[in-house]
Amino acid sequence: MRNVIQSDYVRSLVVGTVAVLGLLGVAGLAFPESVAGDLAGIVFSASTATSTARLAAPIVLAGLGGIFAEKSGVINIGLEGLLIISAFASVYVASLVGIGNALFGIPGIWVGFLAGIAASTALSGVFGIVCIEFKADQIIAGLAVWLIALGLAPFMSTVFFGGVNTPNLGANVGWRYSTAMVALATLASWWTLNRTAFGKHLRAAGENPQALDTVGVSVSRVRHAGVLLSGVLSGVGGSALALSIGQFVGSGETMVQGKGFIAIVAYLFGNYNPIGTLGAGVLFAGLDAVQVRLQQLGYAVPDTLVQTIPYVVVIVVLALVGRTRIPEAAGEHYETEE
Amino acid sequence: MNPAVHLDGITKRFPGVVANDDVDLTVERGSVHALLGENGAGKTTLMNVLYGLYEPTEGTVVLDGEPQSFDSPRDAIDAGVGMIHQHFMLVDPMTVWENVVLGNEPKAWGGLRVDKTAARDAVTELSERYGFDVDPDATIADISVGEQQRVEILKALYRGADVLIMDEPTAVLTPQEVEELYGVFEELTDQGKTIIFISHKLGEALSAADDITVLRDGLNVGTVSAADVTREDLAEMMVGREVLMEPAASPQPPGDSVLEVTGLCVDDDRGVEAVSDLSFELRAGEVLGVAGVDGNGQSQLVEAVTGLREAASGEIRYRGESILGTTRRERIDGGMAFVPEDRHERGLVMSYDLTENGILGSQHDPPFARGGRLDWRASRDHAESVIEQYDVRPPDAEATAESLSGGNQQKFIVGREFERDPDLVVAMHPTRGVDIGSTEFLHDRLLDLRAEGKAVLLVSSKLDEVQGLSDRLAVMHEGSFSGVVDPATVTEEEIGLLMAGEPLDDDSVERAAVHGDADPTDGGPDEDPMDGTAGEGVDA
Repeated sequence: MRNVIQSDYVRSLVVGTVAVLGLLGVAGLAFPESVAGDLAGIVFSASTATSTARLAAPIVLAGLGGIFAEKSGVINIGLEGLLIISAFASVYVASLVGIGNALFGIPGIWVGFLAGIAASTALSGVFGIVCIEFKADQIIAGLAVWLIALGLAPFMSTVFFGGVNTPNLGANVGWRYSTAMVALATLASWWTLNRTAFGKHLRAAGENPQALDTVGVSVSRVRHAGVLLSGVLSGVGGSALALSIGQFVGSGETMVQGKGFIAIVAYLFGNYNPIGTLGAGVLFAGLDAVQVRLQQLGYAVPDTLVQTIPYVVVIVVLALVGRTRIPEAAGEHYETEE
Repeated sequence: MNPAVHLDGITKRFPGVVANDDVDLTVERGSVHALLGENGAGKTTLMNVLYGLYEPTEGTVVLDGEPQSFDSPRDAIDAGVGMIHQHFMLVDPMTVWENVVLGNEPKAWGGLRVDKTAARDAVTELSERYGFDVDPDATIADISVGEQQRVEILKALYRGADVLIMDEPTAVLTPQEVEELYGVFEELTDQGKTIIFISHKLGEALSAADDITVLRDGLNVGTVSAADVTREDLAEMMVGREVLMEPAASPQPPGDSVLEVTGLCVDDDRGVEAVSDLSFELRAGEVLGVAGVDGNGQSQLVEAVTGLREAASGEIRYRGESILGTTRRERIDGGMAFVPEDRHERGLVMSYDLTENGILGSQHDPPFARGGRLDWRASRDHAESVIEQYDVRPPDAEATAESLSGGNQQKFIVGREFERDPDLVVAMHPTRGVDIGSTEFLHDRLLDLRAEGKAVLLVSSKLDEVQGLSDRLAVMHEGSFSGVVDPATVTEEEIGLLMAGEPLDDDSVERAAVHGDADPTDGGPDEDPMDGTAGEGVDA
């Protein structure tokens, strides 16, 4: 366990969450008619659990992707854009193939899922080339990824479907699939980062790229790999988000609604640890799910306020706790001497 | 038996510069070889050729009798050459073993995991074989600099290095760690490894090396055995026997005290004392030259005087008033001109044109600043006058500083500073990179300033320069003056001794003192800058 829950900080996060839930449970059982009773009923209900799982998938998966990019030294703040582009591409390709049809024996909805991953990976590849080969400012390029996707996805939806929202496919990917993917991706990410040679190279590329270069490992290759992985994982998250409903919603901030940014908050909160990122993602998604249920029960909880909680939390954590250590060379370009 | 390393007629040219000129170097297996020379002598370039970072323009690298052709450091590593850089190439938050095996990790499960046990065992085994005493599980950030250096050596050994190149290995170490490093050298050579280290410190080369090769201006001055050579010989080889300029006698006696330094101690970036209890006085119309091998505290002394670094203790008085705690701007406004050591870092803003660079330091003052805006016409006129007087080429005030050659950049800086109408000029290596003709001109200007009654603190590693221009010549060694002598009578051998930190016998000191006393208008006794009492007899 020492390695799985690496820091005291992640441990206290877990213990704290369990303690709050425990208190709530006791209070709810003791006073079933009170607000605590309602709250307990919501928190421990199956529907809250499934909607938490659904909402957590894009946050956790994009957050895991963000870890790979940032550990390698490239800060990818374009995760939001990767989620948007994959959400749209998955629905578009699934409708193109047709729900009842299959391509190479793969059912249409899963072809769409893969297409979402491909779209996100391709966009992250462009981002990587711009940042690593052309040494563009990573923050500006990341914002560009977001803004391009934010404009492009509703536009293409309008072109192909006549509106910013696509029609519903009439089929979806169940929450069990996305939950399994989240669990698998979290464990695989943890293993890759902590146990493989590639994980060590990623870390070295983000901390002291010259050290990696002098032992004969190409820094830019490692960084490209990190960025592409952020694309793959965000693609899984974006596809899972859209296909869990069977529709792409392109109005306003699109259906992604800042989950890519919450993902950055989640991995910072989790201190670049996939397990911690999972915990933070589930926590933020859970708050959102509870808030929605409270609205439905008639409590006037301002949703916009609840949605700011992750950002407030990350500022408090970064400023006061200060345990999150950003990789030394993150955001810096590296030029090999040879 | 073939020598471990043989460099055969290595010439390395960069555009406009010959960094190495037909250098031969032979290093025997199992020996420690020091590559000694001043900054810019071509030591690092030569080692970069051996390490495969640069391809030589001419010449061959021969390892153990086999001619080599390296395209990259990777080839050199494969051929058994390991480089330990001055700035360690370690990943701070990773452990010792992770750093040692980085890029060559032993793998298990078909590459799915790093074989930690095998890696740790390999590191422990190497560490024990050479008596390194490094904990493989320690995090780099938590261990001392000396241990980090041993991790770097382990990295090279793990990759099968037979020849270890170390760039200024003692630069970052404490004296105790230096002793330990010498012990490490012994362990390594006992087991057949060959060590080449780059240094500009004489004592280090003498105590740690078997053989010493001295480079100067890209040329191999000679290879000597450490056992048969003295510090003085080495100092002379490094600095070179150069034609002595006839010192120009001062036209007037020195005037009032301009700069008084008493008991000054200054720390370097690592917190190690670089200037130790230094005292001297500089008077108007006088040039005090500071000679010495680079890195003996000259930079820190100059930084403390000019306000770029805080003094740890002691006192600096400028025109009678303490200037400790005053800002850089206050010192500039007070008439202190400064020609910095590093023209790129501190002399110029490389992307500015010469008009803009010409007013740096005077940007608050008329005629350049008027009512909250800059007068570009006046600035341009000023830049053009500096360009004309100091023969800066191309003569274009709109050219950016980076488009000029190093020598022309230097001329422009010196011109800007000299034309400030200063009371005190602090000049560090004022003619570095400048051609001979312009050097003479700058020297003449410096003597003109002296004639106008300015005080000049001149720090230079060019012996002929400090000797030719100074009224008094101080030689700096390990943070203090090992002697202050009369440049007119001192011999090169004596300077060599002082540079090596050996005090002269009374006779030579006497001569310097006599020279000072011979000054007709100087009423008081000449203060000996060595004894820390300078200034006490002077009414500020």
